[in-house]
Amino acid sequence: MTRPLSILVSAMGGEGGGVLTDWIVGAAQRADLPVQGTSIPGVAQRTGATTYYIEMWPEPWPTLAGRRPVFGLGPSPGDVDVVIATELVEAGRCCERGFVSPDRTTLVASTRRVFATSEKSAMGDGRFDVARVMRAIREMPRRALLVDASAAEGQALNAVLLGRMAASGVVPIPLDALRAAIAAGVAPEANLRAFETGLALSGPQPAAAPASAPRASLPALLADAAASLPPEVLAVADIALPRLARYQSARYAATWMERVRRVLAADPAPGGNWRLSAEVARQLTLWMAYEDVVRIAQHKSSAARFAEIRAEVRARPGEPVTVTEHMKPGWEEVASLLPPAPGRALLRWAERTGRIEGGMSLRLRSTTLSGFLRLFLLARLRPWRPFTLRWAEEGAAIEEWLARVIQAAARGDHALAIEIAALPRLLKGYGETYRRGRRAFAAVMKGAVEPALAGPAGDPLAAGRVARAREAALADPEHAALRGALANA
Amino acid sequence: MERSFAKEVSLLRLGEGEIFEGEGILAITKALLESGVSYVTGYQGAPVSHLMDVFSDAKPLLDELGVVYAPAANEAGAASMLAASINYPVRGCAVWKSTVGTNVASDALSNLASAGVVGGVVMVVGEDYGEGASIMQERTHAFAMKSSMWLLDPRPDHENLVRTIGLAYEMSEASNTPVMVEVRIRACHLRGRFTARDNVRPKVSLHSPLTEPVFDYERVILPPSTYRQEKDKIARRFPAAKRFIVEHAMNEHLPGDVGDIGIIVQGGHANTLLRSLARLGLADAFGNSRIPILVLNVTYPIVEEEVTGFCADKRAVLVVEEGNPEYLEQAIGQALREASVHTKVLGKKCLPMAGEYTAEVMLAGVAKFIEGSMPAGIDIAAVARVAAEVAAPAERARALIGAELPQRPPGFCTGCPERPVFAAMKIVQNKDGPVHVAADIGCHSFATLPPFNMGSSILGYGLGLSSAAALAPLFGKKRTITVMGDGGFWHNGLSTGVSAAVQNGTDGVLIVMDNGYSSATGQQDIPSSRAEKREGPRIPIETALRAMGVTWIRTQGTYVVKDMVRTLREALTTKEGGLKVIVAQQECQLARQRRVKPEYARALKAGERVVRTRYGVDATTCTGDHSCIRLSGCPSLTLKENPDPLRSDPVAHVNQDCVGCSLCGEVADAAQLCPSFYRADIVSNPTRADARRLRWRDAVIARLQSWAERRAEARAAA
Repeated sequence: MTRPLSILVSAMGGEGGGVLTDWIVGAAQRADLPVQGTSIPGVAQRTGATTYYIEMWPEPWPTLAGRRPVFGLGPSPGDVDVVIATELVEAGRCCERGFVSPDRTTLVASTRRVFATSEKSAMGDGRFDVARVMRAIREMPRRALLVDASAAEGQALNAVLLGRMAASGVVPIPLDALRAAIAAGVAPEANLRAFETGLALSGPQPAAAPASAPRASLPALLADAAASLPPEVLAVADIALPRLARYQSARYAATWMERVRRVLAADPAPGGNWRLSAEVARQLTLWMAYEDVVRIAQHKSSAARFAEIRAEVRARPGEPVTVTEHMKPGWEEVASLLPPAPGRALLRWAERTGRIEGGMSLRLRSTTLSGFLRLFLLARLRPWRPFTLRWAEEGAAIEEWLARVIQAAARGDHALAIEIAALPRLLKGYGETYRRGRRAFAAVMKGAVEPALAGPAGDPLAAGRVARAREAALADPEHAALRGALANA
Repeated sequence: MERSFAKEVSLLRLGEGEIFEGEGILAITKALLESGVSYVTGYQGAPVSHLMDVFSDAKPLLDELGVVYAPAANEAGAASMLAASINYPVRGCAVWKSTVGTNVASDALSNLASAGVVGGVVMVVGEDYGEGASIMQERTHAFAMKSSMWLLDPRPDHENLVRTIGLAYEMSEASNTPVMVEVRIRACHLRGRFTARDNVRPKVSLHSPLTEPVFDYERVILPPSTYRQEKDKIARRFPAAKRFIVEHAMNEHLPGDVGDIGIIVQGGHANTLLRSLARLGLADAFGNSRIPILVLNVTYPIVEEEVTGFCADKRAVLVVEEGNPEYLEQAIGQALREASVHTKVLGKKCLPMAGEYTAEVMLAGVAKFIEGSMPAGIDIAAVARVAAEVAAPAERARALIGAELPQRPPGFCTGCPERPVFAAMKIVQNKDGPVHVAADIGCHSFATLPPFNMGSSILGYGLGLSSAAALAPLFGKKRTITVMGDGGFWHNGLSTGVSAAVQNGTDGVLIVMDNGYSSATGQQDIPSSRAEKREGPRIPIETALRAMGVTWIRTQGTYVVKDMVRTLREALTTKEGGLKVIVAQQECQLARQRRVKPEYARALKAGERVVRTRYGVDATTCTGDHSCIRLSGCPSLTLKENPDPLRSDPVAHVNQDCVGCSLCGEVADAAQLCPSFYRADIVSNPTRADARRLRWRDAVIARLQSWAERRAEARAAA
């Protein structure tokens, strides 16, 4: 033996990386192996990324005849035997820092993702592309032992990973010493179980197949769609038509067909590519099934949702679950349910008196009879929906948007039409978020789309300007980036 | 406390010849007890927080031995307690985080060092430098130099650490000077082994108290004593210390066969150096190096003869000294010059002036030194090859990943009661415009990170309010907000910030996070702690504020965001002048969970009826805007794939870590975000009454649901 064996543990604060280190050090001590462990405590323990480092001599004390190995206090790039990572991006970070090398490192990593704040707080999809990390994880280590998130479901991840490492035989600690170290620590029973789970994993676990829900069919419309729509659009129609029929009526679904056909007629489909129509179809579906009071009441009172929550909170059969909704309906919601004229009058009043931002905090217990009945009765307002202010406003906005898309497509600006088609992505949320989205949508329409359509056809830069404005609108909630983008355009 | 050492403190009772296997801080404590210490004190802070926790958990043993243990209100208090050793032959120890703690302590330290001590004084300072540090990057070395105190930097090996602390007491007494023992972040948490000795009962203790007070004007900090003390430092204490260092071989001289170069290293970095040399093929795994090494377990003062003796026959030496300025390198260079030794001294020319000396940095620096000094008998090409290969895996991995990985800085814990206060501040600023926020030290300083990005400066522990003292009037009618924790409030905030603000009639808003502990350092008790086990009376923050003359005080729970919003707006807009204080009161969730979780598990197991609360998001109604995340940042509020195949943006999702604090729901409410949040109360081990009550109700609901479902199906099929 000429060098110590080194183990780097990468975890986030609160994940038990320290406990894992204690188990390994404790087990090595039980096996009478010279060992040293260290950690970086401090603020990183509060949910930040942190590392623990262990060095051990692979032969017991008596063989050393009084000599003491010198152990390092931190990992050295290219000189780590085992890296244990509790999360995928953190495993990638270990690669990036050079601690995973093809000649010696065994990488034991969980493939689960714990999203960083920067990923979570993006207004759209800010998640890091895991394919990039996977490339490094597959190529860099001598051996990659990946533990699928579902394999450790409900079990202590640190113990599962320890088991996985132990099974690989790369660390010269007898299994019983590891078991004894776990037994001497916190929650021994659960952790031993998890350790055995990890031990039993002998290779990468198959990923779970994505769930696909069969949908009820709308015979006539669907048959019509199947016969007349190009495949990209048909894929959307198969979801859109049943959804809109349930949302409002079969007639409403037919309106969708009619709107999509108008775009199809204008779509030049270059090279047989119906991307424009498909994007319009997708956005149109989401927009037409806008989230209003009735829709939310429908959903919140449905049996499917009750079952979903029971599964989500892991309630066992026979355990009663009380569900309390956090709602805050305001005057805007009331106005949206009134016919257009009185609805608008109410909104003007609310805006004038500053009541538009307020709302009545409602803690509604949807599992009690009175709470359930309120939601249930609200959901019954569905037939009333076409007579409301919101219906009128959304319908008009949809038509205006469609007109712009068709206008761009008709004059040959295909790329521009696609960008306009993607704009409804800005419309989401409720309350202030919804108002902010509408402001952004209107600003991009007025500041980027209208000038583009007013200018000569075939401007190759027009589509880029709309795309940049859309991305800018998603960059910050204050719309500072959007104002900048529009000013430059 | 966050971490209990109740089990490990039994190690402190080990006797002569027994093997100690455990953490560095426990080894330090054991060394103190083996040295016959009479009193211990300190103030918590990483990386030596746990040392305070060990003292506290070892209270029964300390009582048995008669050792006084009194945690101080701040580091100045801890340093002041060391005055016991000025006049009396008692050994004492104080512990704190450095350099911030040493800054706070330095008034007392200067006076202590000038007066000198007759009983041994050891300060264990946690050098918070490099990866994992939470403070600005400076060196403790400067304090030792300016006050003529000795600085020990033991090689991180338990055997050596324990021996060094024992010698530190003797050295302190032999030279009548306080001694600092510097331990770095990783060394504090080092797990290793050493052979124990018996604990020594202090001669002066709780069991055998002092009887005769001592007065000696020579020990008082007033002229002319101070002039004589300064002369005594030069004439007697320095020479005594240097003699002690040599006589006890405190620094280690590792011989090597390569005669014309050498390395002088701070003890704390000796292991990293030896491992780097081993990797370059210049040392074995047991510390036998081909290049001679002088390990400085004492970094101040240096013994000039020792250094010149080591360098005399060498062409070049490398000085491994982390941080700046390079005090050691300067001192060694001067010593050599005065002795007319012409060895070339390289330090910061090979190793970086700023930043931690990690294994990677060390390897590169040592390789550069060897390549540059071309010693006889070393295969320089082989050294260069190893050094060049080190970066290869990192470069390859970066190329494969090809994008910047998301950073993962520390943040508020799941269910942290401080988070809602910042959510409320964000909502108020979104509505009424931005205000200047002065931050302070503590968990709440994480608010300066995303998603809150709040707090424009941090000046020191408890100094937040003082740091806004000039800005408050300069902002005129637009009030400033200072955020301070209860830890900072008692450490310094009350006496420094509040008293001056009241005296000067400063108009501004102060938020005190009253979560019951000094949380960021590991939940130690403070005067306002409510913990049942704590000894002594509790002083509520509001009582202290009233006594200081603050009249506008609102004590308020934090989770109901809309109430916090209302109070904040009132504080920012009220006509009343002067200081307005909001005491944001809610127990640290980490501490609460530590208490509640085992109790819940026990009740569940015993078959008792227990209710568990969790929050959730309706994935169907969530539209993936993530406003809720931007306003909360809770670790358990995360993302998942949008179940709607037509939508591309991921939806918000509450994962299984949720502790049911209610913040996400409250925020959605206060900021009028969306109706997607729900709260679920799950009853485990329901009683028969539960079942009876629910049976008919659930039946009615199920009937209505299936009726509605049939109608919807019919509509879809029409």
